[in-house]
Amino acid sequence: MGIINNKRGDKILSVYWFAVLLIIAGGIFGMVYVFYGTPYDVREIEARVLTNQIADCISYTGRINSNLILNGAVVENNNFLEQCHLTFDSTEWEEEQFYFYVEMYRLQDLDKSFLEIEEGNLNLAVSCSVQENKEQENLATCLKDSFYSLDDANNQYVIKILTAVRKAEKNVKI
Amino acid sequence: MKKNKRGTILVENVIFIVLNILFLTILILFLYRQGNGAVIFEQSYAKNIALLIDSAKPITEMKLNMEDAFKLAEKNGIDRKDIVKINGNVVTVKLSDKGGYEYSFFNDVEVTTYPDVPSENNYIIKINNYN
Repeated sequence: MGIINNKRGDKILSVYWFAVLLIIAGGIFGMVYVFYGTPYDVREIEARVLTNQIADCISYTGRINSNLILNGAVVENNNFLEQCHLTFDSTEWEEEQFYFYVEMYRLQDLDKSFLEIEEGNLNLAVSCSVQENKEQENLATCLKDSFYSLDDANNQYVIKILTAVRKAEKNVKI
Repeated sequence: MKKNKRGTILVENVIFIVLNILFLTILILFLYRQGNGAVIFEQSYAKNIALLIDSAKPITEMKLNMEDAFKLAEKNGIDRKDIVKINGNVVTVKLSDKGGYEYSFFNDVEVTTYPDVPSENNYIIKINNYN
């Protein structure tokens, strides 16, 4: 009787070990699948690069672009995207995946902006206001930056830039 | 009776050990294949190249080391010159015959890409002019 019981115990133990192995294998397969199946999220870097491009276009080496402000006055009819060599249209996406909003303030009047430039997909601006309260990966990644510059007549300005990059399908597992 | 019992125990143990080894081998192969898959490399290189182009100014030549990609492409029968393609403002990296991975860039520049001399494992990305 004792021998029979031992044999049963061994068999149960083997089955139990295989069950444990299967559970571990399932866990490892699941973790690896999730890890490698999640795309690299490069939107923050992309937003940073876009902000730098816009900042360089507005003010290179600390002087405001004379195509934007000349002698303290705003130069009208700017095609900002073309001037800054930016293109937001792509065969990869049906809708534009970028947005930016630039505000320029005179240093003596920081309450009211005197020049605003807005380009790209306006719907992404809403994402940025939502992101302020709680970070949502599925929405656009937003970045805010500001800097100080002078124009040709040595007037001082503060420039604020908000950029948004969507491309959620290629950067987040949805 | 004793001989039979010992024989049964030995066979059970051998089967158990063989199955364990088989299980571990499959697991290690799975992990290795996942980490060295074309999909992972295609995505990584396409995003890398798009970000490099976005950050670059005209008349710039960049050399990107793509040793891993070259090995994988060779294994999958893809020619070096077909690995990176630029169509408008979209970068496509192809390391297997399953289509490749696309990623767009916003810098409005004219770009040409080609592999370096065969002895070097680099890809050359040349930013020519603004469009």
